[in-house]
Amino acid sequence: MKSAEAYEHEQGWDFEKAAMPYVDSLYNTAYRMTRNSEDAEDLVQETYLKAYKYYDKFEEGTNFKALLFKIMKNTFINNYRKKKLTPHKIDFSEIEESYERVIQKNAPDLIKDPESEIFQDMMDEDVKRALDSLPHDYKMVVLLADIEGFSYKEIAEILDCPVGTVMSRLYRGRKMLERTLLEYARKYGYIRQGEPAKMRSRKDETKGRKKKEQPEEEAEAQEPEENEEEALFSEDEDAELEIENPEEEEEEEFRVE
Amino acid sequence: MRCNDVKRVAYFFLDGTLDATRQKDFSKHLNLCPDCKARTTIHRRIRLFLKKRLARLSAPARLKQRLTRSLRAFAD
Repeated sequence: MKSAEAYEHEQGWDFEKAAMPYVDSLYNTAYRMTRNSEDAEDLVQETYLKAYKYYDKFEEGTNFKALLFKIMKNTFINNYRKKKLTPHKIDFSEIEESYERVIQKNAPDLIKDPESEIFQDMMDEDVKRALDSLPHDYKMVVLLADIEGFSYKEIAEILDCPVGTVMSRLYRGRKMLERTLLEYARKYGYIRQGEPAKMRSRKDETKGRKKKEQPEEEAEAQEPEENEEEALFSEDEDAELEIENPEEEEEEEFRVE
Repeated sequence: MRCNDVKRVAYFFLDGTLDATRQKDFSKHLNLCPDCKARTTIHRRIRLFLKKRLARLSAPARLKQRLTRSLRAFAD
């Protein structure tokens, strides 16, 4: 019969084994959230300790990585909410418009050379700045999806919001980020300038259909305000944009703190 | 699928989360529309770029040590 101590020790070791593989991921995201290494380390530390406290409540097949991120996100909110993070109103239609402008100007150069990497010479500082320019909510979904590879469903679980909201924020966050990167690239001369060319080449004259679409597209580009963001992906569309999730496991509704 | 739809769902196409029909419609549209094809290519490349540049920072060794120590202290 194991002593209580031995059991606890073993459990601690089990947790360590299970949780330590995620420390780099967590740290990376924590760093992007807090923007400095000290706070990031503290955040990760606190996350692990909290997770450890709840470890005996975890069931077999728990999505451990998502759970750790969820704990971290809640810890971040608790600790940093006072500091700022007041969500500012975003006029997303303005962002759509400026995206269109910058894409029209630069797309030909961007796609011209299929072998070259985009923004090859852009400095890390500029990339970081672009990411940090996003509102926190948008930044989070972009990090979780595009850097950490979580599914929409997992992100919804981590952030405790509907999948439709995740998709809406991803759309906006990604678009904002692209727009900002393209603007930096143009401003600081990262895009190799070729001969100036319009997005629609003269060959497209034959495609009368496309020409007619142009004014319609502009009119339809009016996106709702941020507080209506869920309307962007309404119930119907959610059903259409079916997320293929073959391993539909029973995920426990875990609430932390 | 029209250009407007394509613009709206391009990211989800790249995520692989469009259903089969829409995925097919999307691909078909790209074959017919150089504009949308270009945009989708740019989306894809920027995503790869970001993945590379924002790729995982390694947690500092001291953090890993801190964690190990705290967890083991907890267990004792």
